[in-house]
Amino acid sequence: MTETALSVHGLTKRYGGRTVVDGLDLTLPSGVVAGFIGPNGAGKTTTMAMLLGLVRPSAGSGTVLGGSIDAPAAYLSRVGALVESPAFYPALSGADNLHLFAIVGGHDPAQIPELLDRVGLALRGDDKYRSYSLGMKQRLGIAAALLGDPELLILDEPANGLDPQGVREMRTLVGSLAGSGRTVLVSSHDLSELEQVCDWLVLIEAGRSVYQGPTRDLLSGTAGSLAVVPEKSKDRRLLRSVLSQHGHRVEPQENRLVVDIDGADPLSVAARVNRAAFEAGIVLAELTPLRTSLEDRYLALVNEGGDR
Amino acid sequence: MTRIVQAELMRFGRRRTVLLAGLGALGYALLATFTVINGAKATGVASRQSGTTLAMLSGHGGGTQAFAVGASFVGFFIFVIFIALMATEFSGGTFRALLLRDPHRRRLIVGKLLGLLLVAAAVVATAEVLSFGLSLLVAPSKHIATSAWMSWGGLGAGLHDYATVFGGIVGWAIFGTTLGVIFRSAPIALGVGFAWAGPFENIVSRSWGTGYRIFPGQVLDSLIRGGTIELGMARAVFTAMIYAAVAGAVALTLVSRRDVTA
Repeated sequence: MTETALSVHGLTKRYGGRTVVDGLDLTLPSGVVAGFIGPNGAGKTTTMAMLLGLVRPSAGSGTVLGGSIDAPAAYLSRVGALVESPAFYPALSGADNLHLFAIVGGHDPAQIPELLDRVGLALRGDDKYRSYSLGMKQRLGIAAALLGDPELLILDEPANGLDPQGVREMRTLVGSLAGSGRTVLVSSHDLSELEQVCDWLVLIEAGRSVYQGPTRDLLSGTAGSLAVVPEKSKDRRLLRSVLSQHGHRVEPQENRLVVDIDGADPLSVAARVNRAAFEAGIVLAELTPLRTSLEDRYLALVNEGGDR
Repeated sequence: MTRIVQAELMRFGRRRTVLLAGLGALGYALLATFTVINGAKATGVASRQSGTTLAMLSGHGGGTQAFAVGASFVGFFIFVIFIALMATEFSGGTFRALLLRDPHRRRLIVGKLLGLLLVAAAVVATAEVLSFGLSLLVAPSKHIATSAWMSWGGLGAGLHDYATVFGGIVGWAIFGTTLGVIFRSAPIALGVGFAWAGPFENIVSRSWGTGYRIFPGQVLDSLIRGGTIELGMARAVFTAMIYAAVAGAVALTLVSRRDVTA
């Protein structure tokens, strides 16, 4: 296994005069669950299709699991993928569809019952695919992607079109696919969906990378303020005064006080706030860092137009 | 390649599909046998215009004559089926999904074609055997001698009929596959296929006899019939092979070069 699961440089795809992917540089370490994030039309699906040999790049080069993207046959047997929407034969059962795909891919069909069980379709495996709900079709797509126990999983918006319960189940499923050194690249335009399961993020906008790196790096130090709520509401004015005397910028906001961190370490500021309140005889009911959301960070990066 | 063929056979080897195909073959055998034997004329020569004679039915090839004559319709039927199946592979996304398992595009499309042709070969063989059996049952009522059917000559004629019909079917299958690949949409591909092989070729050929010798559908029709007055067997085989080679090259080129986006 290579240390870098995939790496592309200057990857570009043009359709006529329209550039869908624009000189994308992308490196993904092995073993991460990477979120591939961008709005609709950002180039996520096209990028994935190029990695999988479905779409030929207009320019650029790269490797996937050590094999050149110009010769996808060299690595596709070690890659599982669900791109765009799941596609199976409607008249066949879920299990028969997996059997057919296992035959074509040269995989052992004996793993099919286990895969159906893993994606929660053990009881519906013998039903025709056409009778499946959208969520079941997506899960069968993931089961197909898992045929052959691939080293790299590429999942394109697996929660697309699912209801909230389905999204939660898919998130749990995707999270469970990590481990054993397997790398997962999962795309979505729903940032909150990926924030919870991904330890690596690739953010793209208009076919260009605006961030790639560990999720914690993107979100660390992004707590811009603290929410402080005294146990007794009558202490709020006193608390504001005390904190101001200690040099904090404090603004009342609804039933709480918001303390500006001003780039400092959120934990040390929280400790100072807590100590000041305690010394003034005020018990705090809440002391919470107000994190900037992934969505806010994404929008900020897009507005910066940076490519880190 | 073997795996793709095997997958296609698995897809169409299900009990329900086999039963439906068997019923289709039986229906065809019934229709062809009773139509051809009941419609056989006492005298005349065989051609596109004059049809089957009782003398022909008493010869070596009489037992499979009904199967062979009716097979003109089978060719067009196969054409439609291959258009629909291949175009749906693209529009439904299954070709894309299969490419993720086997990225050799040309191998995938050829494997699918071969798998489907094996299924077609089995159905056609079944139809011929059923048609032969039904002809044996019906022949006495028309005072048609069947002794020649059971000879080595009869076996040879049966194999020859099978070969010509299946040869034509291979041609129709390649044309259908090519249209499916070109348009990647079953309704559009079927519309174009119907319009060309149906009204266009037939209407033009009626007023321009050369059309029987050069239009792909007419050439394959002649091939399936074992040659016609307008186009002999050898010329039909040669022309059909050229058309099939061109169509196959177009399909393979498109499959290997185009992006798979559906």
